[in-house]
Amino acid sequence: MTNSTILVLIALMAMFAFAFMRQKSVAVVGGATEALHSLPRYHGYFAALLVLLPGLLVLVLWLATGKMIVENLIVSGLPDELAAVYADRIDLLINRIRLVAENGTGVESDESILAAAARFNQLYARGIIATLVFSFAVGAIGFVHASSKVEPDFRARNSFERILNGVLATSSFLAIAITLGIVASLIFESIRFFQQVPIEDFLFGLKWSPQTALRADQVAAEGSFGAVPLFAGTFLISLLAMLVAGPVGLFAAIYLTQYASQRTRNIAKPVLEILAGVPTVVYGFFAALTVAPLFRSTGAWLGLDVASESALAAGLVMGIMIIPFVSSLSDDAITAVPESLKRGSLALGATTAETITKVLLPAALPGIASAFLLAISRAVGETMIVVMAAGMRPNLTANPLEAVTTVTVQIVALLTGDQEFDSAKTLSAFALGLALFVLTLVLNVFALSMVRKYREAYD
Amino acid sequence: MTDYQPFEHEQDDTGVDWNSPEMQARLHRRNIGDRFFRFVGFFAVTASAFFLVFLLGNIAQKGASGFLQTSIEIDVAFDADILPDPTNLEKDAFAAAVAQVNMQYLIRQALTNRFPEVTGRRDTTRLTRLLSSGARAQLRDIVIKNPELIGTTHRVSLLASDEIDQVVKGNTDVSVDEANRKLTDMELGWLQSLESEGRVTKDLHTRFLTSGDSREPELVGVWGAVAGSGLTLLVTLLTAFPIGVFAAIYLEEFAPKNRFTDIVEININNLAAVPSIVFGLLGLAVFLGLMGMARSAPLVGGLTLALLTLPTIIISARSAIAAVPPSIRDAARGLGASPMQVAFHHVVPLAMPGIMTGTIIGMARALGESAPLLMIGMVAFIVDVPASINDPATVLPVQIFIWADSPERAFIEKTSAAIMVLLFFLITMNGLAIWLRQKFERNW
Amino acid sequence: MLDMAEEKDLQSTVKPKVTLRDVHVHYGDVHAVNGIDLDLYSDKVTALIGPSGCGKSTLLRCLNRMNDTIPDCRVDGEILLDGKNIYDAKIDVVQLRARVGMVFQKPNPFPKSIYDNVAYGPRIHGIAADRTSLDEIVESSLEKAGLWQEVKDRLDDSGIALSGGQQQRLCIARAIAVSPEVILMDEPCSALDPIATAKVEALIDELSGRYAIVIVTHSMQQAARVSQKTVFFHLGEMIEQGDTTQIFTAPREERTRDYITGRFG
Repeated sequence: MTNSTILVLIALMAMFAFAFMRQKSVAVVGGATEALHSLPRYHGYFAALLVLLPGLLVLVLWLATGKMIVENLIVSGLPDELAAVYADRIDLLINRIRLVAENGTGVESDESILAAAARFNQLYARGIIATLVFSFAVGAIGFVHASSKVEPDFRARNSFERILNGVLATSSFLAIAITLGIVASLIFESIRFFQQVPIEDFLFGLKWSPQTALRADQVAAEGSFGAVPLFAGTFLISLLAMLVAGPVGLFAAIYLTQYASQRTRNIAKPVLEILAGVPTVVYGFFAALTVAPLFRSTGAWLGLDVASESALAAGLVMGIMIIPFVSSLSDDAITAVPESLKRGSLALGATTAETITKVLLPAALPGIASAFLLAISRAVGETMIVVMAAGMRPNLTANPLEAVTTVTVQIVALLTGDQEFDSAKTLSAFALGLALFVLTLVLNVFALSMVRKYREAYD
Repeated sequence: MTDYQPFEHEQDDTGVDWNSPEMQARLHRRNIGDRFFRFVGFFAVTASAFFLVFLLGNIAQKGASGFLQTSIEIDVAFDADILPDPTNLEKDAFAAAVAQVNMQYLIRQALTNRFPEVTGRRDTTRLTRLLSSGARAQLRDIVIKNPELIGTTHRVSLLASDEIDQVVKGNTDVSVDEANRKLTDMELGWLQSLESEGRVTKDLHTRFLTSGDSREPELVGVWGAVAGSGLTLLVTLLTAFPIGVFAAIYLEEFAPKNRFTDIVEININNLAAVPSIVFGLLGLAVFLGLMGMARSAPLVGGLTLALLTLPTIIISARSAIAAVPPSIRDAARGLGASPMQVAFHHVVPLAMPGIMTGTIIGMARALGESAPLLMIGMVAFIVDVPASINDPATVLPVQIFIWADSPERAFIEKTSAAIMVLLFFLITMNGLAIWLRQKFERNW
Repeated sequence: MLDMAEEKDLQSTVKPKVTLRDVHVHYGDVHAVNGIDLDLYSDKVTALIGPSGCGKSTLLRCLNRMNDTIPDCRVDGEILLDGKNIYDAKIDVVQLRARVGMVFQKPNPFPKSIYDNVAYGPRIHGIAADRTSLDEIVESSLEKAGLWQEVKDRLDDSGIALSGGQQQRLCIARAIAVSPEVILMDEPCSALDPIATAKVEALIDELSGRYAIVIVTHSMQQAARVSQKTVFFHLGEMIEQGDTTQIFTAPREERTRDYITGRFG
């Protein structure tokens, strides 16, 4: 008996409800379906939804909270001596129990944990059965209710559509739920982090070396969580990326909108789209294996000491990745300027370049600025290129030839591999994630509201 | 074109003397400025194209040889004393018995027969290392398939080790000092001797497309990752597509225009610009932390990517629905259709090609996405090809990331080859989207 | 079309400012303007009339080569400005457009201040030596356009903030500021209300004599009011040209009569 079995059973029950109620509605009027307000199939749809939705709701609730409930039951039912040992490391204990429950008894030798894991499996199996029974029960209530409604005058279509409308609305509110989920999970974990590390240390500290002592008596690992070097590294690489993508993207947009022939546009636009479609992991590989060694050997030839994971290589490749982003958004902004302004300027004898710099760009400025902001936001949040081509070691420097690390690199470094949920090391990744989210959100909101106002100005 | 002929015309009192040297010089400067601008723009476009060609060319050049693999032919004596007798064994029992046999011994015998001058434990080990550690399994499969070979000596082609493979492909520079390379002069001598007999072959490496991951570059394959990507995208599609389309229908057709729907709209646009790694953190905290779902599984990966793709699908589905002209809605409404019937019977079918195009593009983006999947443990080393959405798996871009991180030289070509496979899928998907768009493009 | 005697009749003693000889315009496969011969004079307002799509706006845009910006548009024949072919490869289109100004159908002031709108042309062409002379050009251009009194206290306000009629007069002032010799007007009043139209028409009257003005209009009354010479187009061909009074009182061609009496168009 698994969760997917429940899903299948609920679906079967809903199908039965559909078929049954369609028949019943026909039978109620003795086959004279024109006497029904709604078509028989709407009686069926209505009944199916009434069975399906409550049953699914129960299942989703169980999936979302089931393991948590079972874990809480386990913890409260632990033998006292075990509870005492793990008094302040309850998450570690749960992790071990989970490992056994998921991977079998081979991974553990502690008897009491094996016992707890067995109990976990037993409780979870009971939970599944309870869920099945409960979802069937609510489904049955829905079925009975729908059955009692089958009458010639019942407006099955209207009721069905009202429910469907609710389903559609729920789908669109899910987007809000995702945002809330992001905010809630980041803030929740960050608060736990800031209980261990003061927020001012995190925001203004200059030293980043995320270690936590596994046991209280360990001396070596006194971690420090000053994120300034990470912010600085992120800033440096984003700046380098924008130095490439900004001018190249903007001038590409200018050329394609103002100078290029239709044929050139037909070739250049797909080229830029392909550039935008290349996965970031490919850019990362390219940066680490081709560009970085190239820069290093060029630097050596010039007598410069270029790190093998230089910020310059990561920044340049990230810039290439962002070019199509800047150019397509700038393209939109420039094309949105009414053609009449351009013609007015040309008719006064301005050259195309003068028309661009003196009329088009000033008029398109909000759109272009927002394109740049969105591009910066993109650069700040970009992960794979820097994970593969930038350094791991925090380095507070403005020299693009050195290796720096970024916020995203550290998040990945902290969270890949095994982890416990409440160590400061793991939690610090969420604090970094929160910082990243807030920064990009501010950039995005600002940019999107700017472009919205801009569009309104020319519509 | 540099010399503009001045107009000759009479000065009038208000007019400007266009023929004055200053005016002509100024005109000249302005035209140069214009050409400069044009040139810079052209340069920017060319530079972008150059980057693309360089990037793809670089990958293709490195990756092409990843689809080939070197094999070495050796004469193996299928010793009847060591191998089981197939005549009085069931097929399965025979296979089990063969699996017990130390194939490495047969290989060593074959190699020392070919190079009788090699003695001593260290050199013999070196000699066997000409071949891949996967050669044993190859030999075992050959015996199981061809029991009649037992008791004979037969020439078989076995995979070479990655170091040999790289030398044969010319990727390893053998002219450097012996101390600075992995293969000794002695080993290269053996290789040359085998090559001179025509025993070294380079063939299409089907294993690369059909098997899972491995620690050995010559044994790796992308199939495990492709299957993982497929299962993950399936989950993403099944969750993000219906929810995204429902949300788009609601927002375009039914949502009252008020402050709340305004917020939903702004929120969706912002969500589309949130860094992907943040979605990984959400997936980690909610799916793994809160709900306790299994790590590294396509189910969790797919759900995480669904969160990421949802805004894209909603936005493109909305614009496809909005492009259906109001006259269609009026016509359906005029025939007495309810708003829900108008939407589902008329508007959505007409908007479907556009919705599909947007969805395919969103799926292509999800296929290339790796950062959020690192957060939820899809970066593990997994040999088996996943068969269900609950099996541990990795996806193609993450596989690329893992291989890119591996120190062996041979992984460079394997990584590049895997990138070519990924790009093949992406091009196919985007091509499909473009085809759909062109086939069903309508001018209302 | 016109026989030689009549054409001679029309020749004034003054040298024409602009001369068109057998001008054809093609957009791809479409033959938009078909063999036009026409003289335009510095002291006259010439009105181009005809039904929509007759090629009159296309012809107008040829006179300052605004058609250059349209892909696959081809102009054949000769258009001479002071005897020089403006489609000659050696002609600088930038300079040409400064000498042949243009006012568009819809007012299109730049999203800049009123002052900067008028100063735009003089600045790019480097006409004003210093700030004082630029101020003078702006003031005199606005005065000629009859707008100075209305805007002199708010030169820093945005040009977009003006009313439609004011915007159009600002665009005329902007064109005047570079001291053009010819001003082309493409239905300059079609987006304006009657009061603003009256003001712009008065302005055209004011300006006539100083510039060769060519105006494309849909309104026969407007052509009659502001022009001294009228040219009637139909389907890319010039049907008739002559003194405005003659065209409106005694047209020689049937089609012209039909058009001005409103039978088609």
